[in-house]
Amino acid sequence: MFEAIAFYLFAALTIGMFTITVMTSQALYALTAMAAGMIFISAFFFILGADFLGAIQIIVYTGAVMALYAFGMMFFDTTRSVIEKRNNPRFVVVLGALAAVLIVLIVLAPIVTTNLNSQHPIDLNVGNTQAIGMVLFTKYLVPFELAAVMLLVAMIAGIVLAGKKMDKSLTLMADEEIALMQASSHDRTEEEGEH
Amino acid sequence: MHHNEPLNDRNVSEQSPYFYVDIEAYPTTNWDKFKQVVKRTFNGELFVGLWVVMREMIKFDIHTVQYPKEKLPIGPRYRAVHKLLRLWESGYERCIGCGLCEKICISDCIRMETKIDENSRKEVTEYSINLGRCIFCGYCAEVCPELAIVHGQRYENGSEQRAHFVIKDDMLTPLDWLTSGQQEEFPGFGAITPNESVTKTPLAY
Amino acid sequence: MDMAFIIETIVKIVVILLVFSALAGLGTYFERKVLAFMQRRLGPMHVGPFGLLQVAADGVKLFTKEDIIPQNVVKPIFKIAPVITAATAFMAAAAIPFWPEFSVFGYKVHPIVADVNIGILYVLGVMAIGLYGPLLGGMASANKFSLISAARSAAVFISYEVISGLSLLAPLMMVGSLSLIDINNYQAGGIGNWIVWSQPVAFILFWIAAFAETGRTPFHLIANDHEIIDGFGTEYSGMRWGLFFIGEYANMFFISFVIAIIFLGGFGDGSIAGAFQLLLKVSFFFFFFLWTRAAWPDVRPDQLMWLCWKVLMPLAVVNVVITGLVMMF
Repeated sequence: MFEAIAFYLFAALTIGMFTITVMTSQALYALTAMAAGMIFISAFFFILGADFLGAIQIIVYTGAVMALYAFGMMFFDTTRSVIEKRNNPRFVVVLGALAAVLIVLIVLAPIVTTNLNSQHPIDLNVGNTQAIGMVLFTKYLVPFELAAVMLLVAMIAGIVLAGKKMDKSLTLMADEEIALMQASSHDRTEEEGEH
Repeated sequence: MHHNEPLNDRNVSEQSPYFYVDIEAYPTTNWDKFKQVVKRTFNGELFVGLWVVMREMIKFDIHTVQYPKEKLPIGPRYRAVHKLLRLWESGYERCIGCGLCEKICISDCIRMETKIDENSRKEVTEYSINLGRCIFCGYCAEVCPELAIVHGQRYENGSEQRAHFVIKDDMLTPLDWLTSGQQEEFPGFGAITPNESVTKTPLAY
Repeated sequence: MDMAFIIETIVKIVVILLVFSALAGLGTYFERKVLAFMQRRLGPMHVGPFGLLQVAADGVKLFTKEDIIPQNVVKPIFKIAPVITAATAFMAAAAIPFWPEFSVFGYKVHPIVADVNIGILYVLGVMAIGLYGPLLGGMASANKFSLISAARSAAVFISYEVISGLSLLAPLMMVGSLSLIDINNYQAGGIGNWIVWSQPVAFILFWIAAFAETGRTPFHLIANDHEIIDGFGTEYSGMRWGLFFIGEYANMFFISFVIAIIFLGGFGDGSIAGAFQLLLKVSFFFFFFLWTRAAWPDVRPDQLMWLCWKVLMPLAVVNVVITGLVMMF
């Protein structure tokens, strides 16, 4: 009974939070609601007995991904509401609702009559963390390695992109040098504009 | 390389106790920065700091003056809240109501009212100093020809009302203080040494 | 689920909340006293004997102060941010074993609210959410200093979570479990079995990361008084600011417990002597937080990032690789 109560409670909370995320025009509300929603999603993992995944959900999505979104939001004034241009709000609502219903139908229609059985039931002899490790390094080894390589590529690319001119320090340069550097970069952008 | 100081003229000579501290050049390359961090991490600078504060804690050599209970002595010429003095020989007020202090006061905070009393002497009926404006420059005490207004040692002027400090009766030496010899005089030009030679000035010549 | 379990859990939650709220208050007293003694001062002296009741006076002040909500702030977020800090700090305590199990009138008590088998992950995860207090508080404050503080807190927390996670990986590989009780029992054999001897690098790295995640002095950039006023706390007043404060001090206590349990043997074999040893270790780590505050200067934000990504992270990765190689061969 506790599980049912917890499931419906967290289901309602999650949907409510993500509704706020989509509907609000205030960026900070959206950020906070989305972070809270991510935490509430982890509750489902805990209810299912997947403690490890739940904790990872909190750490990765709430602790890291949402904080990076917040980094992006530092660049504009978050204390003001975003003014959105809506030409036909009713049209958007109808289309959105239709898309949501369609997705639910597509996913649920093939299995609505069958009785669900879990293919990999929790093995009580093996801990949650070990079980994930075993699956990850046997059955899903190639996707796992691929994801790792892609992340590595993204990391190196990020460092290369952000690392340009990192060795130069404006505080240690003379004024003429700075002017020279600005002029040269100005020329370069103009050249690029011509081509 | 010596770090280039932006301010060069600091009057540092051979005789003076001041000297230039040799500032190391800032590391510019990454390798230099790394070497600096390693050097600072492993040569124990961090532990020197930790040891110094721990030593002071163990020595427990406390330098706090617990102010309301303990007070530091202040100089005899400290310029705090004013006092009006009395004549030693007669107990009359020294102030003759000349108004010089009122005139010289640069923050315009002294105000006095005078009248001719029954002995045909000038009597000061009201004398007030607005301590909210007073800057304690000491000009009033300097200009006073009778050494009537001086600066006292009372620097704790916290109160509910500023008016508490400027009442003439609070500034004037009480008569029993005078008789018990508690009125302080400052040595210097024109000051009197209270002893037997101080006698009452005869009013009638 | 039987009733006894629920009642026991609630009692444990209440006890932990009360004890650590009080300890957070006392922590400020100890911090003032220790800092004062190290700087040849006396610290609080006038409220109560040796200033002991200063905590109560501060509490009365914080509770009775007007709760000011400035005009241009995003009000709901501004109001909820301090609660996030305090709540996450105390939530992290749920998976920390504070004391070996003991029995009261024949009833066995486990002094841990939820003995989940991913204890340390849970603690780190919830402390990671603690980032949202300064972040949202700073962004909602409509104040440039708060915004700078929010940016710094996001950068510092994300960066140093990498360090704390990677440095913990090596000891966890040795123990083979994420439960703090298992980690403790792994070192139950005595002082020679402590993980700090086999993983000194991980110990130092995690300790450094703990300073960054609690925002204590060498890395006190999030609310650095001489640069950005009080950072995210600039616009706060009264008990809302007090909640940030309680959260910070509770975090200091909990991270001290985590370091002591993972690296320094925790409560050992579970005897009373071991339990008191755990308290001693925790008090040392808490004292060290205060000690460094008196002794060391702050680093610049760019130095902090430099240290994290170019020195500590490679060290942590190398440590994990070497541990793995040693365990394989």
